[in-house]
Parts: sequence; C-alpha cells; structure tokens
Amino acid sequence: MDIYLCSKRPSWLVDNRRMRTTSDFQWLLSAFVLLYLMNHVNSQRKETPYDLKCTTNNLQTWDCSWKAPSEAGHGTLSEFCIDNRSRSCYQLARTNIEIPALSRGDHEITIRSLQDAGSSTSKFILNEKNISLIPDTPEILNLSADFSTSTLHVKWNDKGSVYPRHSNVIWEIKILRKKSMELVKLVTHNTTLNGKDAVHHWSWVSDLPLECATHYVGIRCYVDNLLFSGHKEWSDWSPVKNVSWTPASQPKVFPQDKVILVGSDITFCCVSQEKVLSAQIGSTYCPLIHLDGENVAIKIRNISVSDSSGTNVVFMIEDNVCGTVVFAGYPPDTPQKLNCETHDLKEIICSWNPGRPTGLVGPRNTSYTLFEGFSGKYVRFKRVEVSTNESYHQLLFQMVPNQEIYNFTLYARNPLGRSQSTILVNITEKVYPHTPTSFKVKDINSTAVILSWHLPGSFAKINLLCQIEIKKINSVQELRNVTIKGVENSSYRIAVGKLNPYTVYTFRIRCSTETFWKWSKWSNKKQHLTTEAIPSKGPDTWREWSSDGKNLIIYWKSSAFRQLTKPQNKSSFREDFSRQPQLRLILWLFNHIEPKSCYVQNDLQTEQAVGMGKGILLTWHHDPNMTCDYVIKWCNSSRSEPCLMDWRKVPSNSTEALIQSDQFRPGVRYNFFLYGCRNQGYQLLRSIIGYIEELAPIVAPNFTVEDTSADSILVKWEDIPVEELRGFLRGYLFYFEKGERDTSKMRDLESGRSDIKVKNITDISQKTLRIADLQGKTSYHLVLRAYTDGGMGPEKSMFVVTKENSVGLIIAILIPVAVAVIVGVVTSILCYRKREWIKETFYPDIPNPENCKALQFQKSVCEGSGALKTLEMNPCTPNNVEVLETRSTFPKIEDTEIISPVAECPEDSSDAEPENHVVVSYCPPIIEEEIPNPAGDEAGGTSQVIYIDVQSMYQPQAKPEEEHEKDPGGGAGYKPQMHLPINATVEDIAAEDDLDKTAGYRPQANVNTWNLVSPDSPRSTDSNSEIVSFGSPCSINSRQFLIPPKDEDSPQSNGGGWSFTNFFQNKPND
Amino acid sequence: MLACLCTVLWHLPAVPALNRTGDPGPGPSIQKTYDLTRYLEHQLRSLAGTYLNYLGPPFNEPDFNPPRLGADTLPRATVNLEVWRSLNDKLRLTQNYEAYSHLLCYLRGLNRQAATAELRRSLAHFCTSLQGLLGSIAGVMATLGYPLPQPLPGTEPTWTPGPAHSDFLQKMDDFWLLKELQTWLWRSAKDFNRLKKKMQPPAAAVTLHLEAHGF
Repeated sequence: MDIYLCSKRPSWLVDNRRMRTTSDFQWLLSAFVLLYLMNHVNSQRKETPYDLKCTTNNLQTWDCSWKAPSEAGHGTLSEFCIDNRSRSCYQLARTNIEIPALSRGDHEITIRSLQDAGSSTSKFILNEKNISLIPDTPEILNLSADFSTSTLHVKWNDKGSVYPRHSNVIWEIKILRKKSMELVKLVTHNTTLNGKDAVHHWSWVSDLPLECATHYVGIRCYVDNLLFSGHKEWSDWSPVKNVSWTPASQPKVFPQDKVILVGSDITFCCVSQEKVLSAQIGSTYCPLIHLDGENVAIKIRNISVSDSSGTNVVFMIEDNVCGTVVFAGYPPDTPQKLNCETHDLKEIICSWNPGRPTGLVGPRNTSYTLFEGFSGKYVRFKRVEVSTNESYHQLLFQMVPNQEIYNFTLYARNPLGRSQSTILVNITEKVYPHTPTSFKVKDINSTAVILSWHLPGSFAKINLLCQIEIKKINSVQELRNVTIKGVENSSYRIAVGKLNPYTVYTFRIRCSTETFWKWSKWSNKKQHLTTEAIPSKGPDTWREWSSDGKNLIIYWKSSAFRQLTKPQNKSSFREDFSRQPQLRLILWLFNHIEPKSCYVQNDLQTEQAVGMGKGILLTWHHDPNMTCDYVIKWCNSSRSEPCLMDWRKVPSNSTEALIQSDQFRPGVRYNFFLYGCRNQGYQLLRSIIGYIEELAPIVAPNFTVEDTSADSILVKWEDIPVEELRGFLRGYLFYFEKGERDTSKMRDLESGRSDIKVKNITDISQKTLRIADLQGKTSYHLVLRAYTDGGMGPEKSMFVVTKENSVGLIIAILIPVAVAVIVGVVTSILCYRKREWIKETFYPDIPNPENCKALQFQKSVCEGSGALKTLEMNPCTPNNVEVLETRSTFPKIEDTEIISPVAECPEDSSDAEPENHVVVSYCPPIIEEEIPNPAGDEAGGTSQVIYIDVQSMYQPQAKPEEEHEKDPGGGAGYKPQMHLPINATVEDIAAEDDLDKTAGYRPQANVNTWNLVSPDSPRSTDSNSEIVSFGSPCSINSRQFLIPPKDEDSPQSNGGGWSFTNFFQNKPND
Repeated sequence: MLACLCTVLWHLPAVPALNRTGDPGPGPSIQKTYDLTRYLEHQLRSLAGTYLNYLGPPFNEPDFNPPRLGADTLPRATVNLEVWRSLNDKLRLTQNYEAYSHLLCYLRGLNRQAATAELRRSLAHFCTSLQGLLGSIAGVMATLGYPLPQPLPGTEPTWTPGPAHSDFLQKMDDFWLLKELQTWLWRSAKDFNRLKKKMQPPAAAVTLHLEAHGF
C-alpha cells in the first residue's frame, strides 16, 4: 500500500512518513521545551496559570487553553493578554480562549488569574510553531454499495471553506469487514482544498462480494498547509458507516454469472442460513472461508478458461444446494488479416481472423462492428447459427456511390474488453471478380473466333484484364491477356485470332481488373472446332508398283490435314475418292510423278538391324548424287509385296534417321528400304531387315531322325517360320542323353548336367546333325531348341533307340548252335559205338509173359468173378470217389453263434410281417434286386425283400442229411463233375430246373445263386429256397459253406463285416 | 441398438397376435406407444449424457442429486403409488399427454439456448421423437374414445429466458427437465404396459390355446 501511495503521491508530499516523523520530532522537542519551561515556572511560581496549549483546526483561529492555579476556584476570572503591537486582553471566566490566528513570530501571552486573594500572572511565549493543526473529524456523507459490481461508493465533504485555499488534504479511508471489523483495506486519497466546501467520491471494488459480509467504512484527514509552520495532525476517524445485504430465505451464491479474465483471482461466497458443507468449482473442492453467521466464501486463484456453458461453482448445504456460473475467458483479440475486397464493385466483403479464441460463447461472445470512417456507416456482424468456419469471419458492406476510398475500422467487443483493427482501401484496386459464366465461342473465320461471357459487376468505370487459355490437343496451352473496357450490362465479347483452321480448341477465361488484385476463378472450358480452310500444303506421298508391275499405287498421308481425318493413315488410289475433298490436289501431285524412273533396282545385300527402344536407327553414307531427299519405307516382312506400313522422308543432307512408329512391335520382323532421290527418280539404296526388339522364338524347330545306327543318330530339322522366330536366328542347341520315354526327364538343360551332352550349332544354314559314339540298342532323349539374341526358344524332344549290334547277335546265336550240333554228333557217335552196352544196361530183353502158360488164369480177375479171389494181388480200384465232407460245417454254426447277435433274432417276427418289417439291427435284411426270376415271383408275389438270419443261412450245413434229401443234386459239397442226379424230388422246382444244367461241367455250388450279388447287397434268387446265399459266388462257396478250418481262426472278420454292412444299410430305415 | 429397435417396430404389424383382421382395437397402438416410450428412454440416455457433460461438473457427476430448485413449472412424474393405482385409464393418458406437451415445450426452449450446434441437433432429434410419442398417445386416446385435454388459455407452457434466472438456476432447470423427462418415460412405460395388458382380449388367448391344442 505504501509503495502504491508513494508512487501516486505528488512531489510535495513525496514522503509522508518522513514528513510526519519530522513533525513529530519537532513536536516532541517543543513539548520538551515547554515542559521544561512549565516546570521551571511551576517551580518558581506554583500559584500562577500554567500549561498553555494552542491548537487550530482551520488555521484562522487558535484554540488556546491553560490550567488555572490550584487555588483558583470555579468561575475565577482570568485575563488573557496578547502583547503585540496593540495589546489586547480578554477577560473570561474559563481557561480557554479562541483567538484569531496570530502572525508569525513570538507573541507574549500574559494570563493573569484574578483571584480574590490577589492576582497571579503568567507569561507565555506563543509561536505558530507551537500550534497544532488538527482538522475537524470528517463525516461520511453517504456510503452506497453496488452489489452487482461489489463496489463501495463513499461520499464526504472536505469542508474546504474553512481552510485556506490550496491546502492539500490527505484522506485516509479504512474498510472493515465482518462484524468483527477486520481491517481489509486502508487507503489514502489526496485532494486539494479550493476554499469551498466540496464533496468527494471514492469507490472501491471489493474482492469479496458485498453481499457476503457487512462492510464498514471510516475516514480521517490530514491537512497539509505549507504556510502553516506548526504541528499538523490527523483528524479523528469519522464514525463508521456500513453496508450490508439482506439475505433471502434461500441460500444464494455471489457473484452471479460473472465474466472474468482467465488467470485472475475471484472470491465466491454463499449467503446461507444453514451450514454449508462443501464448495466446489467444477469438480474441484475448495476450502471454506467462514464469514459472519453461516456465510462462507471460497477464493479461486488463477482461474482457467471455462467450458462453453461456463464453470460451475456449487456450495453444498444440508438438503440444499446453491451455486453460480463463472465465465472465464479472454478479451477479444485484435482482428487479424482484416481484408476488404469486392467481387462486383457493389458490395464490399471484409473478412478477418478473430485471432485467439476468447473462450466465451453465446451472449458473451465477441461482437463485431464494421465502421466506415468517411461515410459514417456501419454494419454489425451477425453470428451464423451453424458456423462451419470459425477461423474466418466476414461482413458485407454496401458500397457508397461515387466513393472509392474506404476507411474501415472493425471493433471487437466482449464483456472483458474490446479491440479494433483498421484498414484503408481503394476499392477499385481490390476487385476479385466473380467466375465468368455463360462462356460461349462463335466462329468468325477459320482462324478466328469470338468469345463471349457474362461477368456480373459494375465495372463500367474500370478496365478489365482477362486471360484466355487456348489449348489444342497434344499441344502446349497458350495464354493470351486482353484488356477490355468494363460495361454495365456485364456481357463481354472478344475476338481471338491466330488459330488453326479446322482444329479443336479448348477455351476458358478468367478476369481481373487492370489494377491487378486477384484473378477470378477459371470459367468452364469450352471446346470448339474452328472452321475448315483451304489446305496450304499437299500431302506427303509415296508410290509403288504393284506386284504385277501393271499398276502404280499412290500413297499419301492425310496427317497434313490435321487430326480431323485419320491422323496416321495412308490412303491409296484404290480407295474411293468421292469422300476425299483433296482429290484435286492429289491429282496434281500425281502429275508430277515419273513412274518410269521410280525404281532403279540394284543388286543389294539385305542387311540386318536391331532397334533400340521404340525405334530403329538407320545410317547411310552421304551420297552427293542424291539431290532431293531420302525416303525410308518399311513394312512388316510377313506381308506380301508390295507392302507398305509407312514411309518417312529425310532431307538429302541427312545420313541417319531414327525410325519410330507406334505400330512397331517387338519380335516382329520389318523390312526397311532406303531410297535416294535424284532428278530422275528414286533409287533403292539399301534393304534392311530388322527388329525393334528381338524376342526368343516361340516355337521349337521341328526335327526328325533321318537315320539310326547302332552307334549314331542322324537328326534333321526344319527352319522356323519368321513370324515365330521373332528375332534373327543365332543358332540351335542340341541336347541328348540316355533315357527312356517314361523315366528320362531332361530338366535343367541350362544347369550343365554332366550326363547331358550339348551341341551348339551356330551355323544356322546347317539343318542336319549326326550324333556319333552312341551305344547300341539304347534309348536316347534328344532335345533341340533354337535361340536368338532375344533368348532361347522352347524345346522339342524326341526319344530314339539305337539299333542293335547285328554281328554280336549272330555270334551269340551261332556259337550255341554249333556247340549243340557238336555235342549231338559226339553223343551219336558214342551211342552208336556203345550201343550194345546201352542195350544191355537200359533195355535188356524181357521174356513175353504170354508165352508163360502158367499164368494164363489171371486174365479175368477183375471181371466180377467171385469164384477166384485167392490170387488177387491188388485191391479193386473204384472209378469214382465221392467224398461227403460234413465235419467242417459244425464249427461254423458255433462260430456264428459266437460272432453274431443275429442268432437272437426272432424268426417269428421276420416271418410274420415280411412286408412291414422294418429292418432292425439284429436281422440284417437281404434285399433282392429286381431281376427276372419266375420262381421268386411265383413264390413271394411282389415281395422283393426277404429276411434271413444266420440260422436259416446255415441251415443247409447244419442239417446235411436233410439237405441231401431235399437237394441231392444242387446241394453244397463235392460232387463229381459228371454226376447226374437221379433222385430229384417232385416239389423242388429249382432242382428240376437244375436238371437241364447238370450235363457237362458244373461249378461246386448252385449256379442260380451267382446272381450279381455282392457282400454289400445280399440277395436271394428264391425266397422259398433254403439255400440262400449272399455275396459273390466266391464268397458263398469259399467263405460260408466251404470255408476251410483255417477260417475258424478269424470268425469275427467274417461276421463283423457283414454286420457293419447291414448296419449301414439299415441306417436310413431307422 | 437403434437399428434393432427400428426393426422391431417395423415388424410389429407382422406379429400375428397383433395383426388380426378386422378392427384391431387399441392393442397395436398401445404396443407401439409402449415401444416408442422405450425407444425414447434409450434416446434420452444418450442425449442426457451429452447435455450433462455440456452443463459441466457437478451436473454430470453420477451422485449429484440436487433439490428441485425453481423447476416448479415442470410436470412432476413422481406420484404416490396408491394415487397412481387409483388412476383410471383416461386420467393416466391425460396426465401423460399433458406432461409431454409441457416437457416438449421446455425442450424446445433448451434447444434454442444450447451453445453448440451438435447439441442443438441432438435436441432437435429428440424433440421430433417426443412429438411422435405425443401423437401416439393422442392416437391411443382417440382409439379409446377419450378427448384430448385442451390447454387452459394463458397456461400454455412457455420457455422464457428470464433475466432474473441466473445461469446456475437455468442449469438446474435443465438438469431437472432431463430428470423429469426420464421419470416420465419410466412412468409412461409402466402406464402403457398396464394398459396393454388390460386391453388384451382374453378371447384371443382361448382361441390360440384351442388352435394349439388342435395341432
């Protein structure tokens, strides 16, 4: 506070404290002197008036008082005399007197006490320096409070009329708060007295809302008169005045809806009759500062910027809540980048960037006013409801007629402050025209057009600068600037010349003003075809004789006629000229051709050339004889002559030409012909075949084996067609290795396997190859492939077996034959020589038993003569043996009982309702297929499904005797091949049928059961027959009925397979 | 979730029990109103979250439960259970209609003062839905033959941005508006559910039962 006062204090009161200190010191010194004098007087004369003191409150009168002698009673007269030039005495019955202010200097004061007992006199020296100036206690005239702003207004009267003029007065005001009167502020306020009473005001803004606590105000003053040399003292404090707020019944928080600067401090208080429990700002709780009663306050320091709806300050009270909203933000930033321009010289658009966001929205947002200084007009910014671009604002200002210079000031204001920005513009220099519309193009002639467009705006007083963009296809765009005088009707026209006839142009336009500020946006593009004109130049021509030499073919390029006709096309005389407007011109050209001297055939070597990139470079030596030009024509070599793809003329001084064409394709052979022109005509100088780019052949050469011997193979191959060669043939690669057709796979030919032999044939004229040093009767794998500079072609392979070596074969045959012959001859000789011995040894002579009479009775031994049995030496051998094997059937039944639950299947159920029987897992069905079987149809009617269980299936084996009775011929078991049944029963129809089939060979089982059955589809050919089979005949006989004993070892495999099969068959019926 | 609810609403007429030929009665419209109430509950949850965040703490704190200050004009949804039970259908529907008429008006006022465009859009969308609910209730009342309540002259609820209303009290009003709205939607759902059950014809149930038995 002191510092503040010092800085604000005028120079004559620079140091109040020092001044006061000096004054106090003088006062103490004077008091000490006076005390000494009084003591001295008292010591000398105790019975006289003493202790004279004088003060003043207005510098015009002095109030002097003294103490009467102790003997003097009440009402004792005193005489007070001032000894100056005119002695003046006052008799009075009191001990004080108000005298006019004395002049400077010492004045002798004589006070005589007039007592009954006599008089006592005291003399005093009175000087102004001994006088104390104590102003009257000031009084606060009015103390008012502005609660909304928490401001106290103090009003008081300085009573300046009683003081000399130009006296400085220091007012000291104290602010006390709460009932306990805590001093919260002590300020000084300086005024100057002007000889009249004046009312002074002083205001003070409280940091605590005034509603929160009672505020008291007191004031005192200090008159600092420079002419007064006495002591100056502060007046007494005035009686305090207070302001207070009458609380409502409901608690309330102050201040309400306050807008403050971000970073500042603020105190909120809650005036409540009830105890406040807590307080929070936003979600932050704050310590409570207790005020009078239940009122509390919180102090927020360095408040941060608020959200869009403000920051809530809430005080929680028992069963209640109260609060307020504070909006912390920033004053408006200075509008930045203020810019004013016009589109049409009718309306000015001023735009600016508001700068830093204020953090205040809604009604507290920044309001803008655009003020024009010369015209005094202004417009206010209306915030768009849904603003998409908050970073830029703009205002429209209607132009004032005949005013070009505008002085705009943009004022920005919000509850926290204001700012402004100014711009001075000559609006005619800030024209940003609209986009030209209705852009049209009209022909004037083949090389000029008129462009017209619409450009809204009042540009009558200025010139427009417009830029026309002219663009041709496949050409660089051209920009032309034109200056046009502005018109009122906004329609503009301009002629554009120097165009090419019959050419498609694309135009567009944009405009600015002559004093350039900004180009408008480009108008829409407009495409226009200029009208046709007379051709200025003949076409590029070429001619050739037809292959029969009877016709001359004329070619010309129509590219000279721009892109309107076929750009790169050639035409010939064979075409229809009726649609060719240039017919007359071509005929004229024709007249200048000299057909007879067209070709001068030379004996030329055909050269080879390979292109680079997209073209092929042809070079030749300069020939001074060639005076006209060179012509290079080319065509695809696969086409028949005369062929022409294109030609190109080269000046006669050239020695090379890079031939490029979009029609060139890699891997295609082209013929190039270079003609030189002399006066008498064109002469073929060079013939070149070439490729733009060589590729690998796409086919392999066809090769055949011409000859094969035991140790060599002669291979012959054919040429590859040019179209498939796709490059200049550089050679062939021939690979061969041993290998059969199925096993040998000649892969990785390039990897250089040791067993693969390679022959590189670089002589492309060679068409045969003999491979020698081969092995006889050996298969060889031959592979041939061609290659160009473009790469290897595909391979073609062949397998050849060399012939056998015939000499060796002959030797191999002859030697064994010779050996055999020799051995035979030797043996024959030996046998012949030893024939007697051999006969004796191996074939001795045996005597003829017939000649033995003693043995003749043995002749009819086997003829059934029972009488002669004693001399039987050998038993009688029967002709036929019938073996009835029955032993193996019994174990089968046991097996079945073990392996299959089918044995449990009740037969009754299956027999009872054969039609409705749903197959169950216990009784796998045997489904009969619809095969013609009269016996089945007869017996079972329409029923095609029969049921069989294991018991019935094995019945024939289980009862061999019974079966034998029923089916002696068709039963299972061994039977001689030619055995014919002789005991067929009458009722067994099947057996009767079998009678016809028993002659000749018969299989072991009934052939009728072989009907296309499989284990998966068991069936029966006869539902009545007990001989039921399923599975193949093989399975029937070998597994079921004639199964050998070894089958007993694996019974489960048999029954298990069956069971599963039926399970799956039954599955859909479940 | 929204799509699901829309699908449910779309397919409601296809439900056989609600799609009887002839006079369908008030059942379908009550069901639709009930469904719309539930949908609005869902929509309000989203809106209230956004709006309470806009109001700032402590309004968006879950345990903030201030007393009802200055929101006396808002129709109260809370009612004594006995009183609620004693209401008849007409009175129930009338109270619903009146309440939503008032609440809709206040909501529109809320929309006007919202500071952000996004909030305004959300509020406008909800107002449209609430308008639809009001129409549905009117439809149900018309089906049942109850007259629509006529607002007394001079008692039309109006939203006035009173200068005496501090920002804080305004926020409290907004808070209570959303809260009352939520409570009303709860109550309406209960009301319409009760009405729906009451209006369900018992004969249809018997028929259905017999048919089921026949199968």
